[in-house]
Amino acid sequence: MSPRLAGACIAVLRRDLVLAWRRRSDIAMPVLYALIVTMLFPFALGPEDSLLQRIAGGVILVTILLAMLLALDAMFASDIEDGSLEQLMLAPQPLALMLGMKILAHWLTTALPLIVIAPLLAAMLHLPAAVIPVLLLALLLVTPLISLFGGVLVALTAGTRRSGMLLALMLLPLCVPALIFAAGAVAAAQQGLPWLAPISWLAAVLVLAVVLAPLACAAALRIALDC
Amino acid sequence: MANWIPLWLHRLSSPPTFYRFAGALRPWAMALAVLCGIIGLYGGLVLAPADYQQGDAYRIIFIHVPSAWMSMFIYAVMGVSAFIALVWRIKLAEVVAMESAPIGAAFTFITLVTGSLWGKPMWGTWWTWDARLTSELVLLFLYLGVIGLYHAFEDRRQGARAAAFLAIIGIINVPIVHFSVNWWNTLHQGSTVNIFGHSKISWDMLWPLLAMTLATKFYYAASLFRRAQTDLLDLESGKDWVRKIAESEADR
Amino acid sequence: MTVAAAAVPLLEARALSFYRQDEPVFAPLDFQLHAGELALVEGDNGSGKTTLLRMLAGLLHVAAGELHWRGAPLQRDACAGEILFLGHQLGLKTDLSPRENLRIAAGLCGCREGASVEDVLAAIGLRGYEDEPVRRLSAGQRKRAALARLLLLPATLWLLDEPYANLDRHGIALVNGLLENHTAAGGAALVTSHGAVSFHGGEPRHIRMHS
Repeated sequence: MSPRLAGACIAVLRRDLVLAWRRRSDIAMPVLYALIVTMLFPFALGPEDSLLQRIAGGVILVTILLAMLLALDAMFASDIEDGSLEQLMLAPQPLALMLGMKILAHWLTTALPLIVIAPLLAAMLHLPAAVIPVLLLALLLVTPLISLFGGVLVALTAGTRRSGMLLALMLLPLCVPALIFAAGAVAAAQQGLPWLAPISWLAAVLVLAVVLAPLACAAALRIALDC
Repeated sequence: MANWIPLWLHRLSSPPTFYRFAGALRPWAMALAVLCGIIGLYGGLVLAPADYQQGDAYRIIFIHVPSAWMSMFIYAVMGVSAFIALVWRIKLAEVVAMESAPIGAAFTFITLVTGSLWGKPMWGTWWTWDARLTSELVLLFLYLGVIGLYHAFEDRRQGARAAAFLAIIGIINVPIVHFSVNWWNTLHQGSTVNIFGHSKISWDMLWPLLAMTLATKFYYAASLFRRAQTDLLDLESGKDWVRKIAESEADR
Repeated sequence: MTVAAAAVPLLEARALSFYRQDEPVFAPLDFQLHAGELALVEGDNGSGKTTLLRMLAGLLHVAAGELHWRGAPLQRDACAGEILFLGHQLGLKTDLSPRENLRIAAGLCGCREGASVEDVLAAIGLRGYEDEPVRRLSAGQRKRAALARLLLLPATLWLLDEPYANLDRHGIALVNGLLENHTAAGGAALVTSHGAVSFHGGEPRHIRMHS
């Protein structure tokens, strides 16, 4: 990678991180949302330990998926409004790479805080401590996938009036396989079964997605903005 | 490769040509759909013998199986025309892709409903999280996502292109969903359902099924032609050929 | 200017037009723009001035006609970085200061030789506002912060959509000065404006838009 390209990548990444930091309260929102949703489950299902334990992995994964979905809409919205996205598209840099940086920044600011509080969520639902590393590993693989898929779909809706429900309708079917494997790994670990296979599948898909999703994102953006 | 494919597509894809082509073929397609439908239903509901295990309940397959095939066939048509629309920016391909989506969604919905009607007496439950069923459900969501995205744009052609892109992403997704749900089922040791079982279908049941399959294909063609015609008139409303059609309609 | 006229035009449009919902936005346009030239795009509201500029910048696809860049069909990669577009949306992050905004622009597109963010901000008249978040600046100051990109980034062709909007008399003179220096240095610019514009360097070319 040439120094010019690296410099451009860092400029985009830094900009998005600084912007997120200037609006720190926005970072806290998905975290609070995940905490509150997780808190609702014991109230709805009863405080019985064995039941909560059984559903803990799935509940945490779905909660984090939904929390990320809420934050996805904002990935390009402000950039489109103020024209920064146009400037990004006109820059003499590969658009896919720049969008990849934006997706990375988005992951760092929304998914990472959620992963950090995941052990807390797990404790609220009495997930055995031994399973928590597997849960974190699964989350580390699944959340970037959601960010990448989400990036493509948000780019596709770039030219529209923003509609979060439409994004959910488009994104959630795409996330079904990832969710199945992540929850499968956690469930297997809980039952004392080998959990490496689903994790490896997730890792393989993630590698593919890291390469392909930014390209798809750039293509989607050009289609949605008609250029 | 010779470039006759784009050339041929180019000629047929001129909206007035396709409008006439669709108008001429539509009545035939509709007539064939009705004819095949009557033959197939008569053969399936009256002539075919009752199944030795399932009794008469199995007869729903004459609706269920053709619509399930159509739900996938139409998605394939939509995917191919979406690809053409994106690569060559052909208006007709956009129209075909976008007008196929609601028909495909309807067939998918019929498949799900008839499947669960059939499931109740056969497996004792309306719904089971089997790979086939789940993929069909995800397929329905994909159709709805494509339709939703198409209508979210102010500019219809832009919406069509964005939705076409989503349709292509969806093509990759469906097999992955099928595979992952299969994997998930072995993990949970859920009920594995084998719809056709070991039985070889007898000719008495097969020919009405094939007739129904033809009927749904022809119905799709007829419905698509009509929808595409309407859409083309709307999209090209400023053009001369549309004005001529409007004038000749007014004269009648 | 006379030297460049014989050479291959920087930008050439042949029967260029754009369709929205199958309605042509403007009548087919033919024009050439050579290095060292300034062209004023004129037309009423809704005549497609902004659409034309966005198309030239590569932000809208070319629906009909041809665009040539230095004699070859225009391709996004070939002219990336050589075209600078300034539209109604200024492309400034309101939570960042002008200095930070310019640093990002420089990081993405590179810097002109010898230009620095500090000098550019001073030249554009934003001394003392370098570290103020853009959201606290006035509309005119924001415009200036966006215009600072013209001085900072290395681009041959400037596409400026209403560069005079929101500017005071000094600001207008400043933009005129920038345009003169740019064309004198062999650059070219396409400018839309509905106000009358006067240049010291002679009458600019006019491109009229008809719908």
